[in-house]
Amino acid sequence: MKSVAMGQYYAAESPIHRLDARTKVVLAILYIVLSFVCTNVLSFALLLVSGIFVILMSCVPIKIVLRALKPIIIIIIITAFINIFMTTGESLLFEWKFIKIYKEGLFNAAFMAVRIIIMIIGASIFLTYTTTPIDLTDAIERLLLPLKKIRVPVHEFAMMMTIALRFIPTLVDETDKIMSAQKARGVDFESGGLIKKAKALIPILIPLFVSSFRRADELATAMESRCYHGGNGRTKMTVTHLRAADLFAFFLMTALGASIVIFNILNIGYTM
Amino acid sequence: MSKISVKNVSYVYSPGTTYRTDALTNVTAEFESGKITGLIGHTGSGKSTLVQLLNGLLKPSEGEVLLDGRNIWENPKEIGKIRFRVGLVMQYPEYQLFEETVRKDIAFGPHNMGMSEEQIEKNIEKIAKIVGLDELSLDKSPFDLSGGQKRRAAIAGVMAMEPEVLVLDEPAAGLDPEGRRAIFSAISDYREKTEATVIIVSHSMEDMADFCDNIIVMANSKVFMSGTRDEVFSRSSELTSIGLDIPEITRLMMKLKEKGVAADTGAYTVKSAAESLIKLFEV
Repeated sequence: MKSVAMGQYYAAESPIHRLDARTKVVLAILYIVLSFVCTNVLSFALLLVSGIFVILMSCVPIKIVLRALKPIIIIIIITAFINIFMTTGESLLFEWKFIKIYKEGLFNAAFMAVRIIIMIIGASIFLTYTTTPIDLTDAIERLLLPLKKIRVPVHEFAMMMTIALRFIPTLVDETDKIMSAQKARGVDFESGGLIKKAKALIPILIPLFVSSFRRADELATAMESRCYHGGNGRTKMTVTHLRAADLFAFFLMTALGASIVIFNILNIGYTM
Repeated sequence: MSKISVKNVSYVYSPGTTYRTDALTNVTAEFESGKITGLIGHTGSGKSTLVQLLNGLLKPSEGEVLLDGRNIWENPKEIGKIRFRVGLVMQYPEYQLFEETVRKDIAFGPHNMGMSEEQIEKNIEKIAKIVGLDELSLDKSPFDLSGGQKRRAAIAGVMAMEPEVLVLDEPAAGLDPEGRRAIFSAISDYREKTEATVIIVSHSMEDMADFCDNIIVMANSKVFMSGTRDEVFSRSSELTSIGLDIPEITRLMMKLKEKGVAADTGAYTVKSAAESLIKLFEV
């Protein structure tokens, strides 16, 4: 059950950890967008190398970063296969009955795989691994603040996210406990067909819902008794400011983007 | 004669990671047949892990759990049957209630066992009487009961499976004195009627002094001390040395002894303490 915690925060002292959370959110978005700008081998290579450079700088062990890829390996493989078999092009490499594999297909498959990998790595190295959930929701709140003008409840949205994140481990624990209790009463989660397995979940889900509602009630009371009344006039305990490092990070990302565009124009190697 | 026992059992949580914790190291303990054994220890002393090993919810990393002299993991596919023979009531069991009525919830375990409808009906009658739930509350939704009633309904759900060994993890936690008494008298009653072996986990010495025949004290993932109630309480000073609470009355007797009165520090009930003190003055 413990594995459900998707990409947890990895505590370390690194330049990436010290960046402002807002910077990291924007950098992550830019990095992912760049993966869609890339069109040839060289630009993809540059993007990957810079990604590895960021990982090294963040002090998060490569092994842990790769763990974030584990759940989507199937998706990567399926996408790659579809690309290999469905892409048509000029240089035929292999033909057997109706299966035709073109050189373009192989390249496209590789590019798509790299794109997905970069998306996951970009999101996890800038956000989940190096930014605490609290900082993250805080950053999102501040980035979305302009939307308040058009009456989007930004603060409430951020608060909901913080609470949801906060209760993931609690719910996991609770599920574990209720599962053990029902196992002790003879529920069998492993054997039986699909319907039987689904039925076995009822004794887990009902108590889980009941306790979630109870918890929500208790939390609401606790917040009200500490005079919580939404975001109006609420100030932050810690106010972060953009520093030179943040500006430098933006500069590097822009430079990366510019190089990728130039490489695309140079048109070296296979182009998508 | 021990009904259930653990032999050189160790249990490690998340082995091979940085979060590795040894919950139990080389623990050997016996639980006497037909008696109530208390398991005492601080939070994190491994008592909750030990009770989950007893009914096969956890598999020991090393060592074996013996029920009637046979390793419960002899045939891992049959572990489900072991769970019916060793009934476990987890901490705060009222959170596991889910059926529409209390009656249905109590019947849930017996149904899973494949007990016949008549037998289930008979068991519910019997167990409801033991835990003190009346006809009326049996047909209520479990969510409409009071805290103490919910707890008793949840315990009844395990008792109705008629386990030979009944294990209860902190059965009275968070209840008022009235609720505590109701729970413990239900447990004693169940033991008398079914001759089951009962194991109670608690950190309250007071409860142990009143209800248990034998006591096993756990500290730092190991068995610190075990024996009959008299044996364990006669070593009160050792109990206090690992930071466990001893009954108020025992503490009083120890204080008296410090002051030079030949008080019996093994007394753990008000009655026995009073008798021993009276004896001192009769001479």
